[in-house]
Amino acid sequence: MNALLHGAVYGAVIVTVLLTMVALAIWGERKLAGRMQSRLGPTLVGPVGLLQPIADVLKLLQKEDIVPLGADRWLFGAAPVLAVLFSLGAAAVVPFSPTSIAADLDVGVLYVLAIGGLTVIPTFVAGWASNNKFALLGGMRAIAQSVSYGVPLVLATMVPVILAGTMSVSGIVGWQAAHHWLVVWPFFLGLPAFFVFFLALLAESNRIPFDIPEAESELVAGVTTEYSGAKFTLFYLGEYLHTLVGSAVAAALFFGGWDGPFAPGLHWMVAKTLVLFVSVYWVRWSLLRFRSDQLMELCWKRLTPLGVGLLLAAAAWVELGPGGAR
Amino acid sequence: MSHLYDALRAMRTTLVTAFRKPTTVEFPAVIRPRGERYRVSFALPDDEHGELACIGCIACERICPSQVIKMRSTGKIESPVTGKKRQYVDEFVLDLSACIGCELCIQVCNSDAIRMTREPEEPSYSREGLVLDLVRLRANARDKTLSWGRGTELLERQEPPKAEKGGGRGGRPAAGRPDDSNKEAPAKAAVAPPAPAPAAAPAAVAEVK
Amino acid sequence: MSVQTQSAIRAGVDPHLAPASVEADGDLMLLHFGPQHPSTHGVFRMDLLLDGELVIKATPYVGYLHRAVEKLCEKLTYVQQTPIVDKNDYVSPMTNEQALNMAFEKLLNIEVPRRARWMRTIFAELQRIASHLLWLGTFTLDLGGALGGGTTLFMHCFRERESILDLFEDVSGARFHYNTHTIGGNRHDIPAGWDAKVQRALATIESRLHEYEDLSLGNSIFVARTKGVGVLTGDLALELGITGPNLRASGIDHDLRRDAPYGAYDELTVRPCVASEGDCLARARVRMDEVRESIRLVRAGLDGLPEGPICGFKPIRQATQVKVTSGQVYVAIETPRGELGTFVVGGGDTPTSPHRIKLRSPSLHALSAIPYIVPGYTVSDAVAILGSLDPIMGEVDR
Repeated sequence: MNALLHGAVYGAVIVTVLLTMVALAIWGERKLAGRMQSRLGPTLVGPVGLLQPIADVLKLLQKEDIVPLGADRWLFGAAPVLAVLFSLGAAAVVPFSPTSIAADLDVGVLYVLAIGGLTVIPTFVAGWASNNKFALLGGMRAIAQSVSYGVPLVLATMVPVILAGTMSVSGIVGWQAAHHWLVVWPFFLGLPAFFVFFLALLAESNRIPFDIPEAESELVAGVTTEYSGAKFTLFYLGEYLHTLVGSAVAAALFFGGWDGPFAPGLHWMVAKTLVLFVSVYWVRWSLLRFRSDQLMELCWKRLTPLGVGLLLAAAAWVELGPGGAR
Repeated sequence: MSHLYDALRAMRTTLVTAFRKPTTVEFPAVIRPRGERYRVSFALPDDEHGELACIGCIACERICPSQVIKMRSTGKIESPVTGKKRQYVDEFVLDLSACIGCELCIQVCNSDAIRMTREPEEPSYSREGLVLDLVRLRANARDKTLSWGRGTELLERQEPPKAEKGGGRGGRPAAGRPDDSNKEAPAKAAVAPPAPAPAAAPAAVAEVK
Repeated sequence: MSVQTQSAIRAGVDPHLAPASVEADGDLMLLHFGPQHPSTHGVFRMDLLLDGELVIKATPYVGYLHRAVEKLCEKLTYVQQTPIVDKNDYVSPMTNEQALNMAFEKLLNIEVPRRARWMRTIFAELQRIASHLLWLGTFTLDLGGALGGGTTLFMHCFRERESILDLFEDVSGARFHYNTHTIGGNRHDIPAGWDAKVQRALATIESRLHEYEDLSLGNSIFVARTKGVGVLTGDLALELGITGPNLRASGIDHDLRRDAPYGAYDELTVRPCVASEGDCLARARVRMDEVRESIRLVRAGLDGLPEGPICGFKPIRQATQVKVTSGQVYVAIETPRGELGTFVVGGGDTPTSPHRIKLRSPSLHALSAIPYIVPGYTVSDAVAILGSLDPIMGEVDR
């Protein structure tokens, strides 16, 4: 009962914080993208355009909610809600500060990977339920991509688990606070593992260069072609949330979470999450997208062997090397 | 690995451009500097005596490819200002929403009576808001900046070279300039084969300069 | 879908066959790459028969932007037509005007003064730079998404294009549809100080070209998306009447500016850019090289610009001042898309209007290659191929 109440309260707080961060992230991304393109980004709504996300959401919500003829109404409506739920769900086990975590699971990493893997379901459901060939193509590509990139994601996540010796996310953060951040030492394991994790995160969240499922220039809007109004807002929101929560998980697993050289706490976690988040968008606004088969080739021929190698190296480090401080 | 290296190079480029000064001009707070010849709306200015310069010769109405100008001229009336007889216009309507901005009306006006302006009209919620009548056109001449283009100046600059010079490069007959009554001129155009073979395409286009 | 069926469809089957006749196998998906699509470069439809992601058959449908320009030109008089043909290839209006007025000049046997010829050449080359910059921006949009790296390059290309449009605004007063060519020459002369502005604009563009390459041609993701994709052989290109950068990228060295010079090209040396692979990357490379070549040509043009009159025929004073009773001409020029030809038949019922004007548009011929070069690649490649052919629907449909 105590754990339930604890989870509910912290959960509500974290969800609120995350949604606010998403609003700021929308603004930040548009300004950042604008600057990279020699233009200003939003400036009119609110000071420096800060209220632009609110204007966006209000505009989207008042649009007509169209359900195409022949679409599966229940699935069509359920997909965006599930997308947001699954993205938010992964944030439950991430420790935002030494004391605040919604649910301190012993198998936090497993939970994160599982919920993260579930996010492909709303994408495909949207593609199927829309009764639209573009959406269907997008959905099929999404499944192929997410399932494939789940493998390097899991392999990369195993490196912190092996090095820290626990599957609990707060345990990994605590181990990093006591020893070193994993990207600092052992950097030959931590950095490549982070790199693989980052790429797999980009692929799981359908970000450029892996955004084939929602490739606008080929598939109009991919899986979200037929969505409008509130449902589209939820998809839009879900995308940002997935990236944000993924960055938070990466910060916790590889960069030491709330740990810092001085005054460890929530601010370090937030700062690291934001840096990773900005990097995701920096990559997005600079690169072109891969074609499906090139994407698959990158995953299976490069990232997966690298991931397996890192896994074995981490295990060797712990068993045979000085890393075996358990 | 080449993907990684090129990705980093692309990201470095966007980082560099992120710190450049944006080229945005925040319209409508700031209007970008428009060229001297920029042409976007119309005006009927006054002549040097202070009367409307337009003498209702209907040249602009006839030349307009989109037929957006309609006017009604009066006959020759004695001018209250100069005392000489001249023609005026009662009604002059220019439908700006159908205008394609080709400047041909300015080109043909021998009296410099119709000019274009460098500031656009205000956007309107109705089609009638973009129909310029005589009152609005005269007001534009007062309130907006007129563009450089002027009928007499354009016509003067476009005057062809004198016949005795015989054109630019040597070898062309001096009598090559057709005159106004072109219907007596023989059909001097070269007849080119309509479907040139692809490999021999260059030969089909003769010496047109 | 058996291999035999696949190859039967691909090789030798008339692309104009209705898709229904291929439905016998039943497991091909028909996708309308419809007129409403972010990447079809205008209103254009491509029906793709897909086996999963692989395109088995592609059928282009044009005509969505038909505006009866040629019919309209039959009703308007000779002097009123330049602003109308401006809107055909709406991305490079200078070349449209040039083609039309050159045809009229040949019909009337008018000699264009030297200054006008050089001015027309300079404008055409500047327009070529602007058009290729726009092409590069939209091509990376196709490849990289409207919400990603493609947009970044798109914005940059348009910023440079704006400087060229400002130059044209200084000359003619309009940023986009100029109506500055006329029968016999040009209507607007170059204002004082324009040379310096052009040199500044060219210097900026030249200095930023390597940035564009970092984000596009030099980028391995771009190369991976375009190398070996949409190979157009030289023979097929010649048979379909494809000209311009598409032809030169397939190994055929043919450029009307050098082979059938007009304007100032007989005095300026044009070095056409040729590649031999015929894939999308080759077409991109040819266009980027053409930008550099055009920068050089503009500088040479400005250096050698002679003084003198700018028009060799009487200026436009009335709509009916040009009358032609008979004769027909065909004049072709090299636009950024290829050979734009104007076939004019004079005479007919009203001697003040042409009896028939036929415009040969290079983009239509480029699109006719789609049924041959798209099958065998994926949907993503279909988008890349369409973008690399650089079609402009305004001139395809007229």
